[in-house]
Amino acid sequence: MSLAKPLPAARRRQRGRAAPYLFVLPALLLFAAFKLYPIGWSFLLSLHRTVAGTDTFVGLDNYARLLDDPLLWTALRNTLVVLAVQVPLMLALATGLAVALDSSLLKGRSVFRLGFFLPMVTGLVAYGIVFSVLLNKDYGLVNWLLGRAGADPVPWLTDGMWARISLGLALTWHYTGYNAVILLARLQTVPRELYDAAAVDGAGALAAFRHVTLPGLRPALLLTTVLSTIGTLQLFDEPTVLTGGGPDNATLTLGMYLYRHAFTYFDFGYASAVAYALTLLIGLLGLLQFRLLGDKP
Amino acid sequence: MTDSDRQPHDTDSRPPARRDLLRMGGGALAAGLGGLALTACTGTGADGGGGDDGDPEKGRITVWSWQGPAAELKALVPDFNKAHPGIQVTVEDIGNPAIWEKITAGLAAGGQGLADVLHIGVDYLPGYVERFPGGLADLAPLGATRHKDAFAQGLWGTVSPDGTRVNALPWEANSGGFYYRADLFEKAGVDADALQTWDETIEAGKTLKAKTGAHLIGIDKPASQPDAANFFQLLLQLQGAFYFDLDGRVTLDSPESVKAMTLIKTMNDAGLVSDLSGGWNTLISSLKKGTNAVVPYPTWFGGVIEEQVPAEAGRWRVRLPPAVRRGGPTAATVNSTHLAVAGGSRHRAAAWTFVEYALTRPASQVRIYRGKGIAPALMKAYDDSVFHEPSAFFGGQKKGEIFLAALKAPSPPVNYTADYARALRLVTDAQSKVLLKGADPAAVLRDAAAELARQTGRKTAR
Repeated sequence: MSLAKPLPAARRRQRGRAAPYLFVLPALLLFAAFKLYPIGWSFLLSLHRTVAGTDTFVGLDNYARLLDDPLLWTALRNTLVVLAVQVPLMLALATGLAVALDSSLLKGRSVFRLGFFLPMVTGLVAYGIVFSVLLNKDYGLVNWLLGRAGADPVPWLTDGMWARISLGLALTWHYTGYNAVILLARLQTVPRELYDAAAVDGAGALAAFRHVTLPGLRPALLLTTVLSTIGTLQLFDEPTVLTGGGPDNATLTLGMYLYRHAFTYFDFGYASAVAYALTLLIGLLGLLQFRLLGDKP
Repeated sequence: MTDSDRQPHDTDSRPPARRDLLRMGGGALAAGLGGLALTACTGTGADGGGGDDGDPEKGRITVWSWQGPAAELKALVPDFNKAHPGIQVTVEDIGNPAIWEKITAGLAAGGQGLADVLHIGVDYLPGYVERFPGGLADLAPLGATRHKDAFAQGLWGTVSPDGTRVNALPWEANSGGFYYRADLFEKAGVDADALQTWDETIEAGKTLKAKTGAHLIGIDKPASQPDAANFFQLLLQLQGAFYFDLDGRVTLDSPESVKAMTLIKTMNDAGLVSDLSGGWNTLISSLKKGTNAVVPYPTWFGGVIEEQVPAEAGRWRVRLPPAVRRGGPTAATVNSTHLAVAGGSRHRAAAWTFVEYALTRPASQVRIYRGKGIAPALMKAYDDSVFHEPSAFFGGQKKGEIFLAALKAPSPPVNYTADYARALRLVTDAQSKVLLKGADPAAVLRDAAAELARQTGRKTAR
């Protein structure tokens, strides 16, 4: 009887193959409901304009509006300035820090590592508020100290340029340690023999850094660059708490601009269009960075 | 946005909880999108005022408010339940400004997850009504119209712009005030009570600065918080003007607007304006330091001063603000808050029962005033003696009567429109340019008006 026969091997394998999909199904369903669906829905939203509660299909109008919106360009420019100035400085600082924290000359390394990483676990809003209190022109600690030293008060948050610098300082304080830890982890996988070989070849500390450390760090540098880029393009919390995007939109970011349209102006269609433009930008910049920094074939 | 909405009414709740704003932003976004999903799948959403309102004496209702007002509503519940035992009320303190994001997300999700009763500021109400028709229940069929004449003038037009549909019931009505340090004015030899116009006040401010070192007022110059334009708005309203006219046209560059901004520039150029960037925290520390001689804030701020600087009892006075033009009005209702019922609520009738109990009975309103100094819009409440008692803190002045006089004075209606938030943003940016870069008031306001018209498709009134 065929019924008594054991299952053919192929069918047994097939049933075995279905099992993993069953296991991931709950996660997939949740992903579809809470990620995929909103992503799709917001694309549809970006093609609509809501007038008096009724959605009207407007095609690419919202995207056309983007091109003609001076504040959007201000926000983009502000975001790109942070990207071009703060991110490289921070990553250079993080690299230096990683090398220093890796050095066997340093005593109590774990204490320092913890110290530099700690800002990362501070609540975003909490540190934003702390910085805004520290940097207040008339009442802040920093200007009080400067005053004691005989310097004039600095308009940290009330002048466009200084507000950008303050934002950069806050971001650097927060994320440098985090990036340093990633770089440090990679640094520890660089074989010691390479340094020994470099030393035998007569390389000094600088040459060793250039020819051994940096190439070794390359994948981690790529990772931190891409992560920082994405993070910067989505920048929201710090400027919101620190400056509210001001003064006169000097620290307005794309993320804030998006949020403002959705939740302050109730213009969800336009906010979605900004979100898609932002996604496109992040995708393009990410691709570019992989091209430039990634392993060449 | 306007001060009453942005500030906690009690000071134990500290600055408007920004952490909440951010947390709610993310949470609300997820909730909103989840809600959209449900709406799309089942085809049910808020159906507006139609349908069954439920039993007016039975149901389980939730109320959303913030800080002080939430606490006061909570305190009303035991009494309410004596009269209406069938209704279970849960009052939730959502926090301000978090509540706006949460209501927005709920309304955008077709009413999913909203409370039955919503506490809404005048700056958000028109936007909610216009952008989400049916999101708030029409209270007229439930009986709201019979209270039409019970509130301070102008407020019925705010909650019922077309005269038939009633979107909410007024709760607070805050008039612009002029709180000042009598001791500083005395030291400077200026009679603060005699100041009739803001021009005179600026001259007095110069003497004050020279003799005491105190600034006249403080403004959040870089507009780090959305309510940085409160003072500008007060000066506009004292002239019967606003960002929009009653037809919804943009009036940001009106002569009144330019006059208001010019006054601010004159004060600033004379070194009379201290910087309050950082918002609430900075305002309170300036209060404690005595940096500014005048705090041009509305009714509810008196309670905050008493709580924050109790040691200065007797040094403070309050009056209505000077006029912008000699002989002009000194009274302006600068903001109001309201209770609305969610259109998608299954217990609209029960929710209305609670709203009516809280807002139209003088006893409820008097109790709330005693608790948190929240100025009622309900005129009958002012018959109570609590509004006519001399205040030891304000040197024996009858503070309640001063603001009552303002509520009774003619107050032109203010058209916030659904685009108030955009207008406010452009105004605060323009003000920052004037205060920080010395820009020309007429020029920045003309640009702001043009930009507002461009963004909203509204016409300018010029």
